Amino acid sequence: MMARLITYLRDHSRALKYVFFAYLVFTIAFDYFAERHVPHFFGDSIIGFWAFFGTVGCLGMAVVCKGLYNNWLHQDEDYYDK
Amino acid sequence: MISNSIFMHPATLFILGALLLPILKRIHISLQKVILVVIPILAIIQIYHLPDSFGITRYMGFDLIFGRVDQLTRVFLNVFTIMALIGTIYGLHVNESGQHIAGWLYVAGSLGVTLCGDYLTLFIFWELMAFASTFLVWYRKKKRSIEAGFRYLLVHTAGGLILLAGIFLRYKNVGMEGLRFEQIAVDGATLADYLIMIGFMLNAAVPPIHAWLPDAYPEATVTGAVFMCAFTTKTAVYVLARAFPGFEVLAIMGAIMTLYGVGYAIIENDARRILAYHIVSQVGYMVCGIGIGTAMAINGACAHAYAHILYKALLFMGVGAVLEMTGKSKLSELGGLYAKMPLALIFTVIGGISISGFPLTSGFISKSMIIAAAGENHQVVIMVMLLLAAVGTFLSVGIKLPYFIWFGGKKDSECKIDAKDAPWNMTLGMAMAAFFCIALGFKGHFFGYNWLYDMLPTAVHWDPYTSYHLSETFQLLGFTGFGFYLLVKFLKPKPYIALDLDWFYRKGARVFMWFASKPINAVNEFADNVWKNIGIAFTMLVARFFSWFDKEAIDWVIDGSAQSVVEGGNQLRQIETGKIQQYIGAAVLIMFVILLAVVLNA
Repeated sequence: MMARLITYLRDHSRALKYVFFAYLVFTIAFDYFAERHVPHFFGDSIIGFWAFFGTVGCLGMAVVCKGLYNNWLHQDEDYYDK
Repeated sequence: MISNSIFMHPATLFILGALLLPILKRIHISLQKVILVVIPILAIIQIYHLPDSFGITRYMGFDLIFGRVDQLTRVFLNVFTIMALIGTIYGLHVNESGQHIAGWLYVAGSLGVTLCGDYLTLFIFWELMAFASTFLVWYRKKKRSIEAGFRYLLVHTAGGLILLAGIFLRYKNVGMEGLRFEQIAVDGATLADYLIMIGFMLNAAVPPIHAWLPDAYPEATVTGAVFMCAFTTKTAVYVLARAFPGFEVLAIMGAIMTLYGVGYAIIENDARRILAYHIVSQVGYMVCGIGIGTAMAINGACAHAYAHILYKALLFMGVGAVLEMTGKSKLSELGGLYAKMPLALIFTVIGGISISGFPLTSGFISKSMIIAAAGENHQVVIMVMLLLAAVGTFLSVGIKLPYFIWFGGKKDSECKIDAKDAPWNMTLGMAMAAFFCIALGFKGHFFGYNWLYDMLPTAVHWDPYTSYHLSETFQLLGFTGFGFYLLVKFLKPKPYIALDLDWFYRKGARVFMWFASKPINAVNEFADNVWKNIGIAFTMLVARFFSWFDKEAIDWVIDGSAQSVVEGGNQLRQIETGKIQQYIGAAVLIMFVILLAVVLNA
C-alpha cells in the first residue's frame, strides 16, 4: 500500500513540483502577516529575509564544501589501505 | 543498606542482565529475547524510584558517590533508558549474546556516568563505556571494523588519560572536595579543569578531536551503531552541562562544530558516515547551548539531547535497515529503493524532518530553544551560524540522504538491488522512535502533561509555536529545498572518501613509525632472544591451562561460539580477532564486576 502511494507520487513529480513552488510563495506571504518579536538583528525586520538566507546559505555551503572536496579532500576509498 | 544501593542503581540491572544473557541463551533462545525486553522496561520504571542520593561509600579514604539524582540527571536517565529499550528491540533478531552484552555494558556505563557524584566513579564508568562500545565496532568482524575499533579505543584511552590527569591535578590542588563532580565556576577554572574539559570534549566529538566518531561509527554493526549514536556524545553533553555551563569557549566551539559536521555531511558518500558527521553537528548545538549558559540555553541543550537521541537513532535505524537488507550503505551504490523498502523510507524521512526542525517534530521544539537563547543573549554571530547549520542539516540529511537512497532519479524497475523491508523487530524499533519524534513535536502534550519541557532542569518559559518563528522555519526549509532542486546534479555523491583530521594518526602515524622502527627493532631483537630462552616454556604451561579452561568453562557459558568459530576455521583472521574480543571482553567485565563489588561492600 505504502509502496503504491509512493510510486504514485513519484510518477506525478511534475505536479508535486508545482505544489512545492506554491508552498514557496506561501512562505513569503505568511511572513508578511507574521507577528514579529523585538529584532535580534537587522534580518529579523526584513520580509522574506530567511528565504534569501536559506537559498544563499544552501547554494553557498554546497559550492564551498563541494569545492573543497573536489580540489583537496577527496581520495580513493582504499586510500588508507595503500 | 549498601547492598540495597547496588540493586538500586539502574546500571546494575543492565550488568546483571548482560551476565544472564549467555546462560539464558543456553537454556532457550527465546528466554534471551524475553530478558532483552524486560530489563530495559524495568530500568525505565526504576529511574522514577531513585532517591536523591544513594550508594555513597568510603573506599581507601575517598568518598565515592554512585547515585546523585536531580533535575539535570532525570531528563538524561529517562532518554537513556528509553533508548536502551528501542535499541535492544531493534537488535532483537541478533542471537549472538556478545553483541547484546556489549550494548548493555555500554548503557550501564552511560547510566553510571549520569548518576555519579564524584570524578573517580565517573572515571570508572567512563572507561567502561569506551571499552564496551569498542566491541560494538569489532563485532562487525570485518578488517576495516577491527582497525577502526582499535583506533577508536586508542583515541578514547588517550582522552581518558587526559581526563584522569585533570582529576589528579584537581585533587592535588583542591583536595578531597575537588573530587566532587559539581559545577565549576568560570572565573576560578584552572589547568586541571581545562584538562577535564578536554577529556569531556573528546567524547563530545568537538573538533579537532572529533575524527574518531565519523571513523568508527560507520564501521560498527548495524545495531551497534544505533546504540553508539545515542550514548557516548550525549553522556559527554551531560557532564559538560554539569561541570562547565557558561564557559564561552564551549559556545564558540559548539557553533563551529555545527557547521563543521554539516559541511562534511554535504560531501560524504557513505550514508552512515553522513549521519555520524551529523552527530558532530547536532552535538554542536548542545555544546553551544551549554557554553551560552543561560537557563534557557541549558534547557535547550538538554531538550535537544533528548530529541536528538531519538531522531538520530531513528535515522541510524532506517539506514541500518537498508544496510542489513542490501549490504550497502554508500549513496553512490543505492537509489530507487522506494518501492522495495517503503517503511524504512517513511521512518527515515520522519527522522530527517525531525533533525531539520520541521514544525510538529521534536527538532523544532528543542533546536529552536538554543537558537533563541543565543539571540536573547545578543550572540548574533553564533545565532546565524546555528541557523546556517540548520540549512545544511536539511540539505544533507533531510533531503540528500533519503533522496539518493530511495530515489536518486531511478525508477523501481531500474533498481537492480534485491531488497525488502526489514524484519518486524527492526520496524518496531523505528516506529517507537518515530512516535517520539512526532509526539514531542506537539510540545509533548500528553493529557495536559508536557512530556519533555516539564522534565528540563529549570522551568521553561518558551513557546516555539509563534507565528514569526514558524515563518522563519517555513522559509528556511522551503528555500533550502529549492536550493537542492537547483543543485541536485551537482550534489550527486561520488564513490570517494573525504579526508578528515584522522589523517594525522592514520597516515601521519606511519611516518612516525618509519622513524621509530629502527631503534624499536633493536630492542625487539634483544627481547626476542630473552623470550626464546625463558618465556616460551612458561607460556606453553599457561596456554595449556587456559586452553582447558576455555574449552571446558568459558565455551559452555559463551554458547560455544569460540568452538564454532574454530570449526568454521576458514578464515585465520576471524579466529584471532574473535579470541581477542572474547578475552578482552571477559577481562574487562570481570574486572568491572569485582571493582563494583569491592567498592560497594567496603
